[in-house]
Amino acid sequence: MKPRVRTALFLAAAAGAMPALVRALPHFPAFGDHPSPYADRVLASAPVDRHVQNVVTALNFDYRGFDTLGEEFILLCAVTGVTVLLRGSRGEHRSARTGQVEGRPVIPPGEAVTLIARLFGVATFVLGLSVALHATSTPGGGFQGGVLIASGFLLVFLGEGYRGWRAMMQAELMDAVEAAGALVYVGCGLVGVWQGLPYLTNTLPLGTAGSVWAGGLMPVINAGVTCAVLGGFGMLFIEFLEETRVNPDAEQDTEAPKS
Amino acid sequence: MTGAWVGWLPWAVAAWLFGVGLYGIISSRHYVHLIGCLTIVQSATYVLLLSIGYRRGAGPPIFHAHPPSTPAVDPVMQVLVLTDIVVGATVTALLLVLVLQFHKRRGIVDPQQAAPLT
Amino acid sequence: MIIAALAPFPVVLPLGVGALLLGVSKHLPRRGPDVLAILTAAATSVICGLLARSAAETGPITYWFGQWHLLGDQVVGISFVIDLASAGVGALVGFLFAATLVFAWGFFEEVHAHFHVIMLVFMAGMVGFCLTGDLINMFVWFELMSVAGFAATGFALRSSAIAGALNFTIVNTVGAYVFLAGIGLLYGQGGALDMVALGRSVAAHPNDPVMALGFVLIASALLTKAAQLPFQMWLGDAHAVAPSPVSVIFSGAMVSIGLFGLAKLGFRVFGGAPEIVGESRRALLVIGLASAVVGAMLALGQRHIKRLLAFSTISHAGIMLTGLSQMSQDGEAGLLAYLFGHGLVKGAMFMLAGFIAAKCGGIDEITLRGRGRDYWPVGIMMALGGLALAGLPFGPMDEGFKLIEHGAADAGQHWIATVLLVSATLTGAAVLRVAGRIFGGWGELSGDERHGETEEEQEPGHQPAVLLAGPAALLLGLGLIGWDDGGALASRAAAALIALPEQPAPALPGSPGPWIAVLCAVAITGFELARRHLPHWFVALVEAFRVPPTRVLQRMQSGLVTDYVTWLAVGLAVLATAFVFAV
Repeated sequence: MKPRVRTALFLAAAAGAMPALVRALPHFPAFGDHPSPYADRVLASAPVDRHVQNVVTALNFDYRGFDTLGEEFILLCAVTGVTVLLRGSRGEHRSARTGQVEGRPVIPPGEAVTLIARLFGVATFVLGLSVALHATSTPGGGFQGGVLIASGFLLVFLGEGYRGWRAMMQAELMDAVEAAGALVYVGCGLVGVWQGLPYLTNTLPLGTAGSVWAGGLMPVINAGVTCAVLGGFGMLFIEFLEETRVNPDAEQDTEAPKS
Repeated sequence: MTGAWVGWLPWAVAAWLFGVGLYGIISSRHYVHLIGCLTIVQSATYVLLLSIGYRRGAGPPIFHAHPPSTPAVDPVMQVLVLTDIVVGATVTALLLVLVLQFHKRRGIVDPQQAAPLT
Repeated sequence: MIIAALAPFPVVLPLGVGALLLGVSKHLPRRGPDVLAILTAAATSVICGLLARSAAETGPITYWFGQWHLLGDQVVGISFVIDLASAGVGALVGFLFAATLVFAWGFFEEVHAHFHVIMLVFMAGMVGFCLTGDLINMFVWFELMSVAGFAATGFALRSSAIAGALNFTIVNTVGAYVFLAGIGLLYGQGGALDMVALGRSVAAHPNDPVMALGFVLIASALLTKAAQLPFQMWLGDAHAVAPSPVSVIFSGAMVSIGLFGLAKLGFRVFGGAPEIVGESRRALLVIGLASAVVGAMLALGQRHIKRLLAFSTISHAGIMLTGLSQMSQDGEAGLLAYLFGHGLVKGAMFMLAGFIAAKCGGIDEITLRGRGRDYWPVGIMMALGGLALAGLPFGPMDEGFKLIEHGAADAGQHWIATVLLVSATLTGAAVLRVAGRIFGGWGELSGDERHGETEEEQEPGHQPAVLLAGPAALLLGLGLIGWDDGGALASRAAAALIALPEQPAPALPGSPGPWIAVLCAVAITGFELARRHLPHWFVALVEAFRVPPTRVLQRMQSGLVTDYVTWLAVGLAVLATAFVFAV
């Protein structure tokens, strides 16, 4: 379609949807003021039945734990897809030496950058760990903590440069951590099945509210999710950053880009 | 009068973001820009979901600093938004990689010149 | 009791094995991942079969995860609602995966463990989508299925059609966001996420426009997945780029499951809103018929075998949607039976397309003319498949078609069956033409399809021919076997799906319709392949009728994602207007 026709068609569609939206608008739930019985019940239940202060975590890993299992595998699947796409075209072989893309300068990081990256990298790592550990009492959880820790890794790249990054990050380790995290989650569900209860039943001792171990099965699942997320994002960063270098041992890429 | 305006504003904002994001996608000339517009469409869903979950005068559904009977917003919508964020992040990564491969093969990044087969 | 305890395992087993494979694949023997994946898929199918049988005997099994069901009177847990239909479709999915993993033996050398991980997770998503009884859970498995599909297209690194993967991903992701918005609206109005509980809320507010809007949003997402007009354009591109084993799943199962989800949504959640059901009858009928016709016409105009099959999938999914639109037991029974038959036959066809890509060295019908002469048994299989698609009166596809026809006749709309028969005839003829050209060497003069898009596609060809063609033969055979109780089984499953008391299955006498369709398909194929020997004026006359509309449709299928999303927006606007003003 010509661009002008396309835009006209889209604007016509948008205009055409207006009457329906206008008709529906007065019937929308009253902003800030509408009943949500599901929320009320869960907010009342989580501190009492599960000794947990962070109700979002309780929903994520207990009440609706099966959803979160699916989410974690969405992440795993996407990271696997990225790995296949990038490694497949680049080749599995990873040289110990680091090549350079022609025409792209390699500027070593300045000393100030290295210092700040080191300080903040450690701080980010610790923050991420704390956010992940205190899932049941303060805002946070496995997903958030895992991403923070992975961001800490990225600061390593900024501060140490590509050589330091390659020395520290092992793709096999990230793969293993990610897979282990996913397996832990699947396995936690089986604890209940072992006892003849439905999958993902929370049967471990619940602990005291506010402690790191509160919530029974939740801290274990949370640890699994943390590992899966940090492994997954670590893998993503490794694969993406490999794209900024050319493997010096690989054959010349003979396929010229077609215009 | 002020109350009435606030009442429908979140839904209007969500609809607007959705529309603008879609418009960005259909008129895009660069795949990375298109992916950014996809993120805007996603933001529309964030606004919608969190607005549905909002409660006036309520705090976060985390009872670390206050007692469990404090009014709190809807945690179920927050869980759905978390799912949304994870989905968005993963799909964005996949899309960016696909764009990378596309660029390697075709040398262009313009979605409007990207008919798959000759 | 024991059987009910198996309920989570069709999903948990492939997820667990997938995660395991990701971690330990390097330590397994070379064909270890293949064997493990095939066994897991087979096990999933068997478990679903056991669950289906148990549900058929004692009624639907409701399984609450985490032992969370009610808090007070509010449903807070996630459930699997396993009835004959859901578990049956799950069993089909598992079986298709097992067959395609056998077909894919030796397909991918470098990253082969990753392929199996993605396929297992793909299967888990699809089975979870079928079995679930909770709306957000449905979305999670829907998205898992989608992301696995996106990731799976990444294996086609040698394909020049990588833009197809982008089109696929972008269109389906917009669909996913629309799905989420719909869930938000339904939750906001209905206060529940469990489908049964939400159904009660909907029945209490049947004329709520926001709920209608929620239905439109979720239905649009599901129709996008099911590749129906105007959301269908991504399927041709996705099939062109995906490797054959993945295409088997896309067309054989994924598209149909979108429709299955729509049926569940329509009945379980919105069954109590008569205006929405009534409007669905009209809207979905129009979409189904349009998809059937457009898909068929575009299929005939293709030369890229996989794109041809993709358009035929759109057409057959349109037939299924027509059945769904009847919103009755007969219509849904037709949907289910046709789903089974089509999944098996289309899966076989894609495997044969993969065979052609591997052994004949290409995927273009015209350049490959005659190259398949050495493999003529495969040609016969493909011809049989074409006849089945056209409406050969054997097997679940025919059973389904008769049920849909019966349902349409009950509503006094006899012309619908004719439209559907014509579409099926056209798609069957397209496949027959491919079989004749490649394996018979006929059809030196090509028609309009020579203007179709094509590419040089190669797939690894070192596997033994038996391994490539064997699973296809199995699928085709199963797809053509008539089952005496087939209609009754489908009706029972449909009754379970729509959660209404079972009506007796209709008596469906044989009619000459399918045989006429088959004859017409053969005639059309004859015309296509013998073009050189026919009188000039006759050929020109036929082309004058056929080419202009096909050209218009092909130009709309531009290959640009910007166009696809525009049509998606148009579809959303039209559906929103139709439904919001119907309540």
